Amino acid sequence: MTGLHDITQLHAEGHPVAKGQPILELRGLQKKYGAVEALKPANITFLSGEIHAIVGENGAGKSTLIKLLTGVIRRTSGEVFWCGQPVQLATPTEAIARGINAVHQEVVLCRHLTVAANMFLGDEMQSRGLMRKRAMTEAAQAVLNDLGFNLPAAAMLSDLTIGQQQLVATARAAMRGTQFLIFDEPTAYLTRQESAQLFRLIRRLQDEGVTIVYISHRMEEVFELADRVSVLRDGTHVGTRLIGETNDAELISMMINRTIEQIYHKEHLPIGETIVETRGLSGPGFENVSLSVKAGEIVGLYGLIGAGRSEFALGLYGRQPLSAGEVFWQGNRVTIDNERKAMDLGIALAPESRRDQGLCLNLPIGLNINLPVFDRLSNGLTINRRREIENADRQISDLKIKTPSRRVLASAMSGGNQQKIVIGKWLSHGAKLFIFDEPTVGVDVGTKAEIYRLFARLLEGGAGIILISSYLPEVYELSDRLHVFRQGKLVASHTYRSASHEEVLTQAIGV
Amino acid sequence: MSVETTTESAPVPKKGMNILFGLILLGLLLLLWLLLGIFTNSFWTPNNISNLLRQGAMTAILAVGQTFVIITAGIDLSVGAVVGFASVTVAWLLAAGVPLWPAMAITLLIGVLIGAFHAFGIVRMGLPAFIITLATLTSLRGIGLLITNGSTISISNDAFTNFSRADFLGVPSLFWMVLVVAIPAYIFLHLSRWGRYLFAVGSNSEAARLSGVNVNRTIYLAYILSSTCAAFVGLLLASRIGIGNATQAEGWELQAIASSVIGGTSLFGAVGSVHGPLIGAFILATINNGANLLNVNSFWQRIITGALIIVIVYVDQLRRRGAR
Repeated sequence: MTGLHDITQLHAEGHPVAKGQPILELRGLQKKYGAVEALKPANITFLSGEIHAIVGENGAGKSTLIKLLTGVIRRTSGEVFWCGQPVQLATPTEAIARGINAVHQEVVLCRHLTVAANMFLGDEMQSRGLMRKRAMTEAAQAVLNDLGFNLPAAAMLSDLTIGQQQLVATARAAMRGTQFLIFDEPTAYLTRQESAQLFRLIRRLQDEGVTIVYISHRMEEVFELADRVSVLRDGTHVGTRLIGETNDAELISMMINRTIEQIYHKEHLPIGETIVETRGLSGPGFENVSLSVKAGEIVGLYGLIGAGRSEFALGLYGRQPLSAGEVFWQGNRVTIDNERKAMDLGIALAPESRRDQGLCLNLPIGLNINLPVFDRLSNGLTINRRREIENADRQISDLKIKTPSRRVLASAMSGGNQQKIVIGKWLSHGAKLFIFDEPTVGVDVGTKAEIYRLFARLLEGGAGIILISSYLPEVYELSDRLHVFRQGKLVASHTYRSASHEEVLTQAIGV
Repeated sequence: MSVETTTESAPVPKKGMNILFGLILLGLLLLLWLLLGIFTNSFWTPNNISNLLRQGAMTAILAVGQTFVIITAGIDLSVGAVVGFASVTVAWLLAAGVPLWPAMAITLLIGVLIGAFHAFGIVRMGLPAFIITLATLTSLRGIGLLITNGSTISISNDAFTNFSRADFLGVPSLFWMVLVVAIPAYIFLHLSRWGRYLFAVGSNSEAARLSGVNVNRTIYLAYILSSTCAAFVGLLLASRIGIGNATQAEGWELQAIASSVIGGTSLFGAVGSVHGPLIGAFILATINNGANLLNVNSFWQRIITGALIIVIVYVDQLRRRGAR
């Protein structure tokens, strides 16, 4: 029998700490970067075998805390007790040796190796200096089967979806005698089914005595999984609650001092003329999509990842060739076969992935913001430096992008601020139709609220918005009209709040 | 500008950072000159300085062109071969009785076409830059040897060959050619929108495309500029040695890439300048020149150049990490 538990036992000795007793205690743990206090002295106790959620806005200190616990950075002051003993946690190796491990939002595995090779990476089974490939594949397969993952251990990692890769990363951590496992926004890129699978795995690890720290922006996940929840705000540990003794509203107000009604800020504005209309539009990944957007309205596109929403947006924007159908722009038939044409008509696209499509990460914020408008900032041959600086600084201050300077690289910004840079790009260009594709993935609640208020401002200015999201509450609360996509087709349409959550979800999944 | 306290500890790249790095490089160059002045008698002679400036000038022009390509996260391995091929072209045209100016214009045009071919291979055929430019490197040498039947074509046009020996205001005319290239290059890269587009494409071409940047056109531009700079250097070389020979300028592509990298260009793209590669080229030229004067075995020059690349790029890495 090669159950997960046995493999866990191969590496770590039994738990010295009984379930429910403190396994990791932070006493006055503090981290300073120069004068900036990224984490103010915090006292948090993690109990053996619990699922402990940590919530907070971006920049609240969550990632600092993870880095401290996994030995990536060293604390400025304070003490950490592991199983009652004071520990340094000075290096990642020390943290892993003690059984502290983390699964990150972005999968950090080797894409060109097999699933089994990844699971054993750095800890390969050998005999006389040669790798025992088949033994590793079999052992990895046994673990995967045991966990209930329907994944072939011999497959290349690059052939798996991001969600499946996440599961592999988790299985890898689980195999290594981990007693304390930190999940950093693990579901950001997962489908519902994959999330459900991950949750089952997390509960199972908990049953085997592993202590879980779960970091997420998604409140419903916290309530589904966690036993206790700690809230961070501006580097301060605001408090820890038993999950049964709190609710969304309390947590959110602890995080940001704002109520939930104020987050989904919906104003019903008079609906104007039709801006864009598609008739039977088809292209790679979507088929026969007919819809329209009017001035002053938000049209929501909901569906699972891969349902064809983003592909439709890219097709409309001229990034992907269309195979059939017509586009009417303010009543006139148009052909949009490249991005420039779309921009010139007045379409703006804030794409799905900030990292891959939205930003030049290793370039300054200012350059990113000005990228679509350099032709307007130029006088003949050269760029007008003063206008270039003014435009960047205006967007930074209008959108409250938290940066000391426009010269800071985009990669140094948090998810929320990066999203604001993408938006700033299109505000400086101006448009009649804004397409926002997953605008709030990895964005904290406070910034979300700011982005939603910005939508209202754009609508007041006479623009129309297409909002693509996999997060149902968001599209549900904000859309004047909600279209549901499934397998590349538009399968259902609803007006504002005319269908229930369950109905929309069922249409998206197609059961 | 006051730095407000934010919850994020974002590093602020100082505006003076690039200038500082430039000054360090310049300091290194001056230090080399000073040391060579102390340890050799012949370094600070007008003859040697002219020679140094002439040699450095050609590498410098190649390095500037190469830098445009590297900023887009590409590479141009063909520049040495283009130099040799251009020298053959201009010599052949002059021998065939084509007047001087049209002959030079045609040679530059061939440079443009070679660059366009590289970009075509990358954009339309989907080939890696490394492969397509490696292929033209070997093919151009072959075509040049075919044209000349393996020998050299001598150039009898005195106006052409005198140019490289001439001075203007006491400085070799070849060195002035660096400024002729560098000033427009500086305006292009640092002051115009096309320069910004080169950086954007090198950083994230998909993001650039979705922001309305014509990515294909930007890539064409970079490779055409690189090959045209190389063809221009081919003209200068032909003028200097008075012959056209397809095997000339062997290994100059590596000199150009090394100059660019020493000058702070990142081979990962999106980082680079015009002044850095210029100084880098003269540092390399000085090392070669000094090694000759000190009677260092020429094999050692190659080893020293390699070591220098490692040291300078390492220092640059430390600097970037320090900023983070």
